[in-house]
Amino acid sequence: MNFPILSVTLFAPLVGAILIMVIPREDAKTIRRVGTAFSFLTLVLGTIIWIGVARAGAGDMSFTEEYRWIPAFNVWYRLGVDGLSAPMVFLTGLLTTLSLFYSARTIGERVKEYYFLFLLLEMGMFGVFMSLDLVLFYVFWEIGLVPMFLLIGVWGGARREYAAIKFFLYTLVGSVFMLLAIIGVYFDTGTFSILEIAAAQPFVGNIALATAAFWAFFIAFAIKVPSFPFHTWLPDAHTEAPTAGSVILAGILLKLGAYGLIRIALPFFPERFHYFVTDVPIIPIVAVVSIVYGALVCMAQWDLKRLIAYSSVAHMGYVTLGLCAAAAGYGVLAGEQNLSAAVSGLTGASMQMFAHGLITGGLFFLVGIIYERAHTRDLKAFGGLGSQVPYYYGVMLVTGFASLGLPGLAGFWSEFFVFRGTVRFIPVAAIIGVLGVVFTAAYILWKIVQHVFLGTLDKEKWGTLSDMEWWEKVTMWPLILGMVFFGFYPTPLLDMFNAALTALLSGLP
Amino acid sequence: MDFGEQTLTLGQTLWLLSPELVLVVAGVLILALDAIRPRQEEKRWLPAVALVGLGGALIATATLWGCNARVLYVLSCDSFALVVKIAALLAVGIVVLVADTYIRARTRHQGEFYALLVFSALAMCLLGSAVNLIMIFVVFDFLSIVSYILTGYLRDDRLSTEAGLKYFLYGAALSAAMLYGMSWLYGLTGATDLTDIGSVLLHTEAAVRPVVLPALVLLAAGFGFKVGAVPFHQWAPDAYEGAPTPVTAFISVGPKIAGFALILRVMLTMLPAELQSLDLDWQALLMALAAVTMTVGNLVAIWQQNVKRLLAYSSIAQAGYILIGVVAASPRGVTAVLLYLFAYALTNLGAFAVVVAFSNQTGSDNIDDYAGLGKRAPGLAMLLLICLLSLGGIPPTAGFLGKLYLFSAAIERGLIWLAVVGVLNSVISLSYYWKVIRAMYLVPQRAEDRLTTSPTLAVALAITVAGVFLVGIFPTALLGMIESAAQVFFAG
Repeated sequence: MNFPILSVTLFAPLVGAILIMVIPREDAKTIRRVGTAFSFLTLVLGTIIWIGVARAGAGDMSFTEEYRWIPAFNVWYRLGVDGLSAPMVFLTGLLTTLSLFYSARTIGERVKEYYFLFLLLEMGMFGVFMSLDLVLFYVFWEIGLVPMFLLIGVWGGARREYAAIKFFLYTLVGSVFMLLAIIGVYFDTGTFSILEIAAAQPFVGNIALATAAFWAFFIAFAIKVPSFPFHTWLPDAHTEAPTAGSVILAGILLKLGAYGLIRIALPFFPERFHYFVTDVPIIPIVAVVSIVYGALVCMAQWDLKRLIAYSSVAHMGYVTLGLCAAAAGYGVLAGEQNLSAAVSGLTGASMQMFAHGLITGGLFFLVGIIYERAHTRDLKAFGGLGSQVPYYYGVMLVTGFASLGLPGLAGFWSEFFVFRGTVRFIPVAAIIGVLGVVFTAAYILWKIVQHVFLGTLDKEKWGTLSDMEWWEKVTMWPLILGMVFFGFYPTPLLDMFNAALTALLSGLP
Repeated sequence: MDFGEQTLTLGQTLWLLSPELVLVVAGVLILALDAIRPRQEEKRWLPAVALVGLGGALIATATLWGCNARVLYVLSCDSFALVVKIAALLAVGIVVLVADTYIRARTRHQGEFYALLVFSALAMCLLGSAVNLIMIFVVFDFLSIVSYILTGYLRDDRLSTEAGLKYFLYGAALSAAMLYGMSWLYGLTGATDLTDIGSVLLHTEAAVRPVVLPALVLLAAGFGFKVGAVPFHQWAPDAYEGAPTPVTAFISVGPKIAGFALILRVMLTMLPAELQSLDLDWQALLMALAAVTMTVGNLVAIWQQNVKRLLAYSSIAQAGYILIGVVAASPRGVTAVLLYLFAYALTNLGAFAVVVAFSNQTGSDNIDDYAGLGKRAPGLAMLLLICLLSLGGIPPTAGFLGKLYLFSAAIERGLIWLAVVGVLNSVISLSYYWKVIRAMYLVPQRAEDRLTTSPTLAVALAITVAGVFLVGIFPTALLGMIESAAQVFFAG
């Protein structure tokens, strides 16, 4: 028997959480160390998984594990990763490690519960990326909900209660309908296996049920992504969450929705997806509105954290747009050109998931860093900080440029591939969507760079502002390196995604 | 062992009745010990005697596993009855653990209390087996009367007395209605045995349909009272609030187990699936009951300030979910009902154990007083959090698995709208469970002291919460048992 590396990675955070439970709460130092150590362990394991998947061929599921869980209901404990999920598992490990490392210096209250919940959250996220069984998927999907709810509610900002319950109920409403769809799909196909259902295509010939089930899945995921018009929980949750919570929210939790769209909604119902992209173009409209509207709202924000929160709506819109390209290509995949364009749209979407994780994770850290010092996030209050905190300025510039998709940084490739796919199938959406890129440049440069760093410095107010501490640098550097590395050399990532998504698309009937 | 139609010897009869006999002995023993050992310190052992009795009955039940026999014409000893007995004995056992410190602090009369609890277990065990209308009515009222007395047990407490009286008046009226319905059925069919009634109805279906329907409505009123379904639920909030909290825990779980066991047995033996039109009437009736019960329970719960009242309305809503499985009336539906009963019993008893632990030290049941419990008693707060999430159906708890089964049963029968009502209600329910969670974790504490938990309560909490996770994550063994119980009604 092979070493069950996925199960070990999945449950390592749980072991860490249980360990933390038995450490006395006065010993915050040990708790922090144990928590960070366990998340670092998952990062190492995540790296091994990535390498393993790359070697074994990213188009197939690797490290699969299968055990009966509830035989009477044909529910299995099925895990596996391919080129799509492996990078996400790595990203989860990376961002959790950085978050816990950063939190060691910034969270002083109820440390024990904080680390406990964070590790549970990490387990939930791993579970979603690794599950190949719908019930298991659903279980992990919901497991992450409660810790995040408490992280926002207990350690959040002034309006934390409202934000926490809004986040919780929004996600829950979406997911309970997904549960019904899961059950429906089971009775149609007789299995909960994600791969088998994709091969069997549920509700063939029953348009009404297929449509209902498709929307149940789609809306559950779209709420999480979040796509306009389901995005209103996001600005509140992101703004009120503690820094590390925002990082995980934007960096990973949104990707759970996007991952669900790629892994479940598209392969289960490609025909329905196609229909709602080309014949009744609801989904491209939603994607484009998310991009343009999200970016415009960013321009109107004066709270730095809220601005970055809204930028996620816009950036995740590219993911939906990339999916639209792939769905539009379904049914006309016959030509080599078409397949490549469809895969390219989906690869762009996946690249965006990864890149956005690095970039927005970084941006939220940076907001946290300035807020710790200035105790305000009001853009109007700043100005001329470039000379006062040059190191911070530099890091923010790189991250901001990555966010606006500057070539040479990670954000560029995702937009490039998304638009490459979109132009072929739904050119109108591409043309409007590209406006978002312009707006993004506008709010990054005008709102953030100009208002915070340029202009005259208020010596009295900001004269004592100190630059980044060593631990803040340690937190940011891996992200910066990732942006630059995958900006110049995206091949390792591209190869993974390309292989997995080509397999996924060409496997469709 | 399948006894089929053969005549039982006395020894076999006693063996098949052994769980009930053990309970009778234990109950009488407690009363006797209470009388001959008047000193208060010596009464500390009475709960232990009760636990031994319940444990003995549980073992006796286990040895009967696999039996299939008619005992004394009116009782059936089959897997279904045995599963109900297991659930009842476990639930009452946990209630005894929860009650220990609470009752000792509040009344001198401990003996009768535990004796009554043991007798309630006896009534539930009998109700799980009863297959004859007269037997059903007798044990049904036996259980009711025990519950009334327990509810009003604290004589000097005005609320408790009032609660007992309300419960009694309401229950007496509805069980009279049920008896009236039963007499209709007897008048129509000339039989009191459920199987016999079923076969008579099968032959005369078209003719009797208009008359049977009112009888069914009257039966539903009685059953609805027992499980706390809307519109027969009005007794519940006051009874829950006024009763001594361990008794609240008991009446939120015990009568529900018994009531649903009864509904399933009566429905599936008396109205077999071949009875097309009557089945449809009955199904429509239950469907309406399920949807209304869930929705009303949940919506009213939102406004509650007292944790016992909140849990009362929540348990009304839970009865609504369980009715979904009853409506489905399929093997999966019966499995779902039994599974959910186990899940619900463990979860709700766990939640009440925390409520008891809290009120033991603070004397309050007010949700506002739970402020900062996350700091004052992190352990208790976490256990209550887990129980509330399980009630709300969040994985990986027992409540989630139960709901998964219930909704599956509905969807399998094409009752998608009922499943939709169910999931929407789950969301609503989380909004008021959230109120308690919010108080515990988000609101700053008002008192600095740390709360402690008595050992018996700690044991009860450990059992329930471990059960909640065990059923939620490793349900295979329990499901195997439950599925064979469900087969009782569908074999052949």
